[in-house]
Formats: sequence, C-alpha cells, structure tokens
Amino acid sequence: MSAQGSNWGNSGAAGKPANYVSPKIVAVYGVLTALTAAITYASYTPFSPTKGYFNLGDSMVFFSALAFGWRAGAICGGIGSAAADILLGSGIYAPITLVAKGAEGLVAGVIGRMKGGKAWAVALGIGAGGACMITTYFLGEWLLLDVGLGKAIAEIPINIAQVVLGGTIGALLSYYVKKSYPSLTKT
Amino acid sequence: MIPSAHGIPREEKIISTRNLKFTYEGGVQALQGLNLDIRSGDYVAIVGGNGSGKTTLAKALNGLLKPTSGTVMVNGMPTSELKVAEIAKVVGYAFQNPDHQLFCSSVEDEVRFGPLNLGYPEQEVRQKVERAIEAMNLGQLRALAPLSLRLGERRRVSIASVIAMDPQVLILDEPTTGLDAGESLELMNSLKRLNAEGKTIILITHDMKVVAEHARRVIVMANGRMILDSDSRGVFSDLAILGESNLEPPPVVRLAHRLAKHGIPHDVMSVEELVFQLLRSRGGG
Amino acid sequence: MGGFIDLYTEADTFLHRMDPRVKIVAVLLLSLLAFILSHLYLLLALLTFIFLLLFLARATISRTAFALKFVLRFMVLIIILWPIFDPTGTPVLASLGPIKITEPAVWRGVTSAARVGCLATVWYILMFTTSQRDLVRALVKMGVRFDFGLTLAISLRFLPTFGALIDSIKDAQRARGLELSKGGLLKRSKNYVAVLVPTIVSALRTADTLSLALQSRAYGARADRTYLRDLNMRPSDYVALAVLAAILVLPAFAKFVMQVDI
Ligand SMILES: Nc1ncnc2c1ncn2[C@@H]1O[C@H](COP(=O)(O)OP(=O)(O)OP(=O)(O)O)[C@@H](O)[C@H]1O
Ligand SMILES: [Mg+2]
Repeated sequence: MSAQGSNWGNSGAAGKPANYVSPKIVAVYGVLTALTAAITYASYTPFSPTKGYFNLGDSMVFFSALAFGWRAGAICGGIGSAAADILLGSGIYAPITLVAKGAEGLVAGVIGRMKGGKAWAVALGIGAGGACMITTYFLGEWLLLDVGLGKAIAEIPINIAQVVLGGTIGALLSYYVKKSYPSLTKT
Repeated sequence: MIPSAHGIPREEKIISTRNLKFTYEGGVQALQGLNLDIRSGDYVAIVGGNGSGKTTLAKALNGLLKPTSGTVMVNGMPTSELKVAEIAKVVGYAFQNPDHQLFCSSVEDEVRFGPLNLGYPEQEVRQKVERAIEAMNLGQLRALAPLSLRLGERRRVSIASVIAMDPQVLILDEPTTGLDAGESLELMNSLKRLNAEGKTIILITHDMKVVAEHARRVIVMANGRMILDSDSRGVFSDLAILGESNLEPPPVVRLAHRLAKHGIPHDVMSVEELVFQLLRSRGGG
Repeated sequence: MGGFIDLYTEADTFLHRMDPRVKIVAVLLLSLLAFILSHLYLLLALLTFIFLLLFLARATISRTAFALKFVLRFMVLIIILWPIFDPTGTPVLASLGPIKITEPAVWRGVTSAARVGCLATVWYILMFTTSQRDLVRALVKMGVRFDFGLTLAISLRFLPTFGALIDSIKDAQRARGLELSKGGLLKRSKNYVAVLVPTIVSALRTADTLSLALQSRAYGARADRTYLRDLNMRPSDYVALAVLAAILVLPAFAKFVMQVDI
C-alpha cells in the first residue's frame, strides 16, 4: 500500500499530465469491485421468507480490506456490494449497503492491518468492521427506510452470521493469497 | 445418418446416450439429439469447431448438465437421477481450464481433494493419490503450490486430481492447448499408458495431429450434432466432413490426399505410413 | 445459477433516448417524493406512475417479474412485521399476550410498504433503459473523477465475465465431488472456499493483464481527454427535467410551506 500514489481526492488540470491513481490501482479496484458483486450474487442463498437470505459477500469485503488496504475495502466493498443489491433485485438497499459495507471495509482495513496485520489486529478489525455494518443496516432500515423495528431486528442475527463466516473466510483468503501469490497483492 | 464405426470391439457400455438434447437457458440448442455409446477401454476423440457442443456434451456425460430431453445412462443408471458426486466416481472430467479446479496450497492436497469428497477411507485415499501422482509424473512437485506452477504442470495436476477419484472413464477437455510439443507428447503418452491399464479415455481436442496419432475412435461434432462416428482412419479418408466442421487435418494427411491420383491411399495417417506408401508406389511404378 | 441478468434491454423509447443524467436526477427526485408523501393513496398513485414508466420503457414481463419478486416479498414482510412491533393507537384488532395489533398500526405498515415499493421499483427505470457505458459516462460528466469512472466501467465490464467464471469453477469443483448446496451454513461456507480461491486468483491475474493494457494505451496522459461520443442535452431532456422538478417541488411546497397534509 505504500506505493499507492495519489489518492482519489484531487483532479488533474486540463492539458497537464493527469494526476490520476496508477493504472494498477484502477485495474485492481475495478476487478475487486466486480468480484465482490459477483461473489455476493453467486453465493446468495435465500431461506424461508421470514428468515431472509445469506451470502458470502462479506468475505470479499474483508479480503479486499485485509489484502489491499482500507481504501480497497471501502471502495470495492461498498460499491461492489451495492451493485450486487441492484442485480439481486433489492436495489432499495443499495444506498444503505454502500455505506454499511463501505464502512465495514474501511474499518476492517484500518484496524486489521495494524502492526503488519497480526492475528489479533485482523480479528479486531473484522469485529469492529462487522459492528459498523450491522449498526448501519439496523439504523438505515429502521430510521431511513422506515420498515419498522420488527424487520430491522430480524436482519441482525443473519448479519452476525455473515460477519463471522465471511470474516473467517476473508481473513484466510487474504493470508493465503498474500503468502502464495505475493505478486498478485502488490499495488 | 451417422456412418457406423468399423472394427470397434463390442464391449460393455459404460455410457450411453439416447436422443440426448440440451438447451441452455438463453435458448442455445447446444446438443440436438445425440446417440452415443462409450464402451469400456475405448479411446475416443471428440473433435469439432468452436461452439460445436463438445464441452456441453462432456458436461452432460458426467451429469453437470442434465438432459433437456432424452437420456444419458452411466453404468445403466440415468444421470438425471444421480448426483454429480456419485457420477464422479465413474466419469471423471478434467476441465478445459485447469485454473478453475486448483485451489489448495500443495499439489498433494489438491490431488487428495476429490477422493476425500467421495468419502473413501484414508488408506484408499492415500493409495489413489500416490497412483495419480505417479501417473502424471508429479512426484517432484508434490509439495509446491499448484497455482504457482507452469501451465503444463498445472494441467497435469488438474488431471491427476481427477484420476485420483479413480473413475472408469476420463474425459479431458482440450488438454494440449497451451502446451509446447514436448509437454504435449509427454501428456499423451501418460494417457496412452492409462488407456493400456484399462481406463476409458474421452479426449476433446482441436488438434488433429493428436487425434491421428492416439485415438482409436473419432466423433466429429458440428452444430450440436454428431456428423461422424468412426475409427480414426475413416475420419481422415473423408476430408469433406472435416471441412464441414472447420477442422484441418494434419499436413501429412493433406499431402496424401493430394497424391491420391498417384496411387497413395486415402487413409494415410502418419509420416511413416506416407514414406512407406511413397517408396512402395515408386518401387511399383 | 444461469449467469447474470443484465437489466438493460435495448429499445427505442423516449426513456431510452433521454439523457442518462436526467434519468439519474429523475430517480433521485422520485425517491425523495416517496419520502415526502405520507398518505397511502398518494403513494399508491406514485407507484402506479412508476409502473406506467416501466411499461412505457417496454420492460419485458420476465424482467418486471424478476424485479417485482423481491419487492413483493419485502412489502409483505413489512406489512406482517410492522403491527407486531407497533402497539400504539386504537382500536385494537387482536391481542396475544404482550402483542397488540391495532388498526392504525396496520395502516402504517401498509403505507410504509407502499413507500418501499416505490423506492424499490424506481431504480428499474434507470437500469432497464440505460446501458452501463452511458451510466458511467453520465457520472463522469456529473463531476465524478475520470479514474473513478474508469474503475467503475472496468468493474461493470467484468461483472458478467466473473459471473460466468464462478459458474464454471463451481462446475469444475462439483466434478470433483464437492457439494455446494448440502449441509448447514458453516459447511457450505467452508466448501465455498474451493470456489473462492480459483476465482480470486484468476480475477487478480486479469487485473495484472489489464493494468498493462491501460498503461500501453496512455491512460492518464492528459486530464482533458476526449470522448468519441459525447453526451448532449436535447430540448426534450430539459422539458423532462422541468416536469420532474415540478413533480417534486409542488408537493414539497404544499407540504412544508402551505402545511397541506399530503
Ligand atoms: N453457459 C452457457 N450459456 C448459454 N450458452 C452456452 C453456454 N455455454 C456454451 N453455450 C453455447 O452452446 C454452444 C456450444 O458450446 P460448447 O462450449 O459446448 O462448445 P465447444 O465445442 O466446447 O466449443 P470450444 O471449442 O470453443 O470449447 C455454443 O453456441 C455456446 O455459445
Ligand atoms: Mg469447449
């Protein structure tokens, strides 16, 4: 992440060489975003109508954050998961998802990579990121979409399961890919 | 009508399809009524242009795709009533792209994955893994990460991981694409040994040279149909049919056909045979 | 799984021809309107209007059904769960222990469901009638940085590719005896690792190749890059924008300034 170049904030002036992020980052972030959406979509498992559904999208949010840093976690996690919502026909969730999963990736990336990504940091990052995600969904559904307290509470247990399973898988994937294919995770 | 096969011994049918049709969700009719028998010990090549339905057929034979209509029987049971995991014990399928199968951190783990899924006892798993590693000559690579190997080696790992499930039939989807001549030859020789040991081989390929040199029976596909099912000599005597499915016979076969009016027979398949025929025709004329 | 459903359908309707920027604004305005309206009949009128637009966009039945399946389930859930957690008001229709179902709560649930229905379907006007390319171009025109737009374009471009990749990898592992739809959540998730690893490694390899391709095509050489096809607002687009603004502003004015109860 040290070779990150410029960040997303400032735009180049006309006529001069543009002050864009490196092509490697554009490519990797674009691919991770698509991957997050595709995996969320493909692993989507609906249960009975009252229990809602389950997916492994969080594993990709955590993977992006832990392997590529908080920017990737926030951008790819947020946009990719929101895109999956639209694809799955639940576009109404997309704005909340953008914030919820974006925050999850951001927090997991910041905390999870502290001290070179020690195991406790990773676990803490996943926990804190997951908590942000669950809270955002709860508040968003309850207050913003105004779906009623019942529906908002009904989501919480599923979201916890997604964080636990997705976090474990995401951490393992990031450890494994960083170790086995270091060239792929350099940006 | 499909010209019938010559000289193929009538052996026990492992796979047989009757009026097999398959249509993808988007409406592409990829298989349009196939009748096909695979017998124990066969070495069959399936050839055909891009999009002719070869991969679809392979997936139908091992139950990944269930027929839209018609039947596929594996050892007398319809695939529509079997789980893929059950069929995998009989019909193994090495995918076109080996990278789609590899995920473990060592070659050995990768090869173990299949037999473990099938629930074989530990002792048997170990035996099957050793045999597969030996068959694909992976002894020296066993501790390495599969995805970090070269393409030819990755292909061997992916094939070994299917062999380890010890299926009666081995389907290989374009196993020589991307390999250099040496790697390709080594792989084909391994397959020949497996076939000699009794494995039935179904080889999907574009490479007519490989077909000429290795397969005993050739099925030509075009637009979801079998347009020819014959021994491999029969295929090369009919250039029209190969042209119809956009396949180019090896140069030696084309040369032999050009020399037909000088008395060279239609069914020459290798350089040695051509030399022999040339010497003979010169000696005779 | 059968791959992805690309919601965009090519057709030549006024909604297809409309400038994508106007459509983005339209979706935002209509969503805001759904929040402003609080009466059930007005929300139902808005829902009807949205469906009228979908109809005019020539959305096919199968696509509309796909869109509606989720929305309907969602609305039903809200209608069922709302009264259970909202015991205020009278008359009480039924009570069971601590749970009280009151008539006003039932109506509040139905109203909320209608609002959610509006928010959930208004998206489709944009998604059914705008190609991904136009969508990204509109965002860049609206001030999103070019490299960000490019990243978005890349991800949209690769989404169906990765969808097909995942399907193929699932098949490849099923051929090795892996059963993905068996067992509880824990087992399924664990089995899914055999799909995730090849997918991620293949995808990151794609990213490697892609970044070389971007470099070799002089990405980032000039900030004021030109486009082959530009977006241009036509008079009809301005009319549409004006109508939309009126649709939002009038009710907002009535509600917040005139204090009309709508
Ligand atoms: N998942 C799919 N969904 C829809 N159509 C498909 C799918 N897979 C293949 N097809 C179509 O089915 C037909 C047969 O495809 P198939 O992959 O079986 O051909 P093939 O002979 O293996 O070609 P190749 O030599 O390129 O591997 C083609 O027209 C192809 O476009
Ligand atoms: Mg194929």
